[in-house]
Amino acid sequence: MTVRAAATRAVPSGRAGLGSKARSGRARPGRVGNRRVGRGVAELVTVVVAGVVAFPLFWMVLTAIKPQDEVISADPVPWTLRPSLDSFVRALTVQNLGRYFLNSVVVALAVVALSMLVAFLAAAALTRLRFRGRTTMLIMLLVVQMVPVEALTVPLFFLMRSVGESVPAFGLNHLGSLVLVHLAFSLPFAIWMLRGFVAAVPVELEEAAAIDGASRSTFLWRILFPLVAPGLVATSVLSFIHAWNDFLFAKTFIISAAQNQTLPLALQVFVKPDQNDWGAIMAGSTLMTIPVLIFFVLVQRRLVSGLAGSVKG
Amino acid sequence: MTAGPATRGQGRAALAYLAPALLVLVALLGYPVYQLVVISLFDYGQEQVSGGAPLTFLGLANYGTLLGSAKFWSVLGHTVGFAAVCVVGSLVLGAALAVLATRVRPWARGCLFLAALGAWATPAVAGSTIWLFLFDANFGLVNSLLGLDGFSWTYGKWTAFGLVAAEVVWCSFPFVMITLFAGIRAIPPEVLEAAALDGASGWRTATSVVLPLLRPLLIVVTIQSIIWDFKVFTQVYVMTGGGGIAGRNLVLNVYAYQEAFAASEYGLGSAIGVVMTLILLAVTGFYLRALRRSGEVL
Amino acid sequence: MRKWLACLAALVVTAGCAPVQSGPQQSGSDETTGQLRVWLFDEVNRTAKEKVIQEAVAEFQGKHAGVTVDVQYIQVSSRAERFKAAFSDPASAPDVAEFGNTDLAGYVAAGGFADLTADVAGWAEGKDLLPAVLDTAKVGGKVHGVPWYVGVRALYYRTDVFAELGLQPPSTLDEIAPLARRVRAAKPELIGISVGGKYVYGALPFVWANGGDVATREGDKYTSAIDSPQAKAGIAQYTELLRDDICPPAQCAGNGGDASVENFRGGKAAMTIGGDFNRKSVDASAAAGKYGVVPLPGKQPGSVAPAFSGGNLLGVLSGTKRRTLATQFTQLLAGKQYQRKMYDAMGNLPTFADVQRAVADADPFLKPFTTTLEAGTRFVPVTPSWAKIDAQAVLPTMLQEISGGGKDVDAATKTAAAAMNAAFSS
Repeated sequence: MTVRAAATRAVPSGRAGLGSKARSGRARPGRVGNRRVGRGVAELVTVVVAGVVAFPLFWMVLTAIKPQDEVISADPVPWTLRPSLDSFVRALTVQNLGRYFLNSVVVALAVVALSMLVAFLAAAALTRLRFRGRTTMLIMLLVVQMVPVEALTVPLFFLMRSVGESVPAFGLNHLGSLVLVHLAFSLPFAIWMLRGFVAAVPVELEEAAAIDGASRSTFLWRILFPLVAPGLVATSVLSFIHAWNDFLFAKTFIISAAQNQTLPLALQVFVKPDQNDWGAIMAGSTLMTIPVLIFFVLVQRRLVSGLAGSVKG
Repeated sequence: MTAGPATRGQGRAALAYLAPALLVLVALLGYPVYQLVVISLFDYGQEQVSGGAPLTFLGLANYGTLLGSAKFWSVLGHTVGFAAVCVVGSLVLGAALAVLATRVRPWARGCLFLAALGAWATPAVAGSTIWLFLFDANFGLVNSLLGLDGFSWTYGKWTAFGLVAAEVVWCSFPFVMITLFAGIRAIPPEVLEAAALDGASGWRTATSVVLPLLRPLLIVVTIQSIIWDFKVFTQVYVMTGGGGIAGRNLVLNVYAYQEAFAASEYGLGSAIGVVMTLILLAVTGFYLRALRRSGEVL
Repeated sequence: MRKWLACLAALVVTAGCAPVQSGPQQSGSDETTGQLRVWLFDEVNRTAKEKVIQEAVAEFQGKHAGVTVDVQYIQVSSRAERFKAAFSDPASAPDVAEFGNTDLAGYVAAGGFADLTADVAGWAEGKDLLPAVLDTAKVGGKVHGVPWYVGVRALYYRTDVFAELGLQPPSTLDEIAPLARRVRAAKPELIGISVGGKYVYGALPFVWANGGDVATREGDKYTSAIDSPQAKAGIAQYTELLRDDICPPAQCAGNGGDASVENFRGGKAAMTIGGDFNRKSVDASAAAGKYGVVPLPGKQPGSVAPAFSGGNLLGVLSGTKRRTLATQFTQLLAGKQYQRKMYDAMGNLPTFADVQRAVADADPFLKPFTTTLEAGTRFVPVTPSWAKIDAQAVLPTMLQEISGGGKDVDAATKTAAAAMNAAFSS
């Protein structure tokens, strides 16, 4: 670790986030007026940009609550005077939607739990311990992210088929196969990101623990784990999204077992050869996005510090 | 750290901690990647898969076919150009907005971050569909506002690429913005104050103080963006209907899927996958070397 | 790093240097209870199809205690991946599936569908299947599916528009383009004739009517003929329709058969090439009651352009664990009773001689389609390579290159022929 990296390493996790105090307020008295105008302009620009970025999402929700005839209209308007929940009703009454939702939740949570456990151990080793092949391991973590996922579907398909011959629950047509692949694909980035959180815990703490006679595993679980927990939460969002949004593997691995399909596949019901049911597609997309967005906003501060920390240490 | 008994003890502990991760990565990524390389050396189609025809070892013939095809080179060119636009777009937008976010009060920043997180959280399939609907030739809001009724954005080669690139930038700039924002906030205030006391202008502070401090962060953000944008699949597949008119909007990943996997040419498709990985490796290797030269250690 | 490479090399040596191959497909067991999985195609007007299927499922479940039938509707556009996945893992595959007759050769070569020759021969209704139609279910003389319906296309046109402009439906292929141009000139909001850059089965009759063909056969070997002068004339004649003054490429180049008919359904086109199976959905659209159908004319007045003899089959997957049940369900759904019901619901032309005659006698609407059938139909090459050519979208790419991609007929057909020959010889 270089000196420069060490200086910027301890990321102030509480400071960088939605509610943190703006530093620009601390200016010399003579320039306050000027600053205030500048800040006003900056804030205006910020809000406009936020509006533009959020617009597609606004349109998604709006389309979902518009009545059918307004959705397919040659003159779309950015409001509706007759909001209706029909599209949501259609999306929610897809046969077995509850089941699909449950499947998606089960897969995503299993992936999150497993990947956090495994990534925490790996990140601790990669940050706290010196061993040969450490740098190689780090580089490999970057390299495996470069392999196009789509190209791996064929080898993975056969791997899962063989797995299924001995452990049916993890074979094709079962949710276990999805858990396994998403675990594998979300792990490299999760380890990479958790490294920053582990590195932010002062080394002195470990030395103090060692002097107190704590074993390495005591330190790991009693001291390090609670300190890194916020980072685990932030990292888990990304693993969650990965598993939650997947379409490719759900389509490829769940060959014919309708009872094991996930939410993104359920949305396909509304993509029709003749006329797409835009209202229901948007309602379904809204329903799929909301849980992730809530999750995101809740851990937002941790995420900010985590992303910055992930490249240091 | 010095080598010796302590290091050896650490090595053993490291192995124990790394074992689960290694097991997962080797079995579920390493082995499939190995299979990918092996498959790319064979004539491997649906008949070979189901055991109806014997396997033929081709050596590098799949790569020869690939590199000898004009279509591959044109698709490669498109992919590089498309990825470059997306990377530059999300970096510039992300960096500009990160700087902007440090200059405004929390409420404004809150709005921006909430919108950005929304864009990030949207599933790729849903995001592509929304954009497609906004730009629909007949029912889309954009055409209605611009008075371009009936104009098809997905028909023309450049409008289609532009539309997809805009969507990709939309959902990938938040990562850049939030990371860089956190990086800027992590710069000790004393450093900036010292620069201000020395009479450095805002621009000079940015280029000679902030930028060097953010360099490692920028490099990793760039690498991640390159990795993601070079491999864009869902957006292109959904928004151009699998590669556009006569395949003129194909990028490598979709090309591999269309020409090879859909047509059961798994050997050829795997070769494309391997070539893509090698290209990304070369690009990243370049960056890692730059990283090392500047004194950064992973 | 060097050590890692050495490890990798060792792994390559020890792990064996070959990709995975499946074992034999047959499962051997024949269970009489449990879940029977059925794949059918999703299509325009699916609700009507679902109603008939639900009836058949209820009947079947009533007759077989302890059996449930799970029907899934799969997208035609992604069928290639779905079927491949199913063939590669027999344990997860469905038991019965609907599939297009053009895919038959490829699916059988992949070992996907069971040989039903004996089952069809021993089936009372089987002897009434039209021999020409049954032939489309055969590979190497063995039957691998039961023909479920015949798909044949003809020319749909808007009677109100033609009457208003004082036009007559075309009597030769050459009249179509000028006619379509006249309609669009008089009514710029209408597409002259709705065709598409991905609508291969709409384009092939133009090739055949001009004396060309997709490929020629010598012994077991096919050679592409798509760049022959006759084929090129047909392709030029078809792509002439994909112009701004008839069917603007920006709107039409990306369309397949469904989307082409969809424009007609939406009242946005004066003509289209549609199938017997599209008829019920057109009846439930903006064009209802103001359209007519004539056979797609050939080069000479009074002649009919050879149509593509499409149609779908129902087959039993070779990996099924419930062979008897699967065959019984196939015979129920593809049997006379349900073909009749499917005709009433969807307009699908039956494959039994007597049923087809009965419905044709009762319904003058079918006349243009039966006339087209009687005039003789054509087919794509019966070879596993066709599945590959189809999946690589060789012909759609060719049509799109001509209509919007800036290539001329010579260059585009030459590229397509090369791609086809590569597939034929692999």
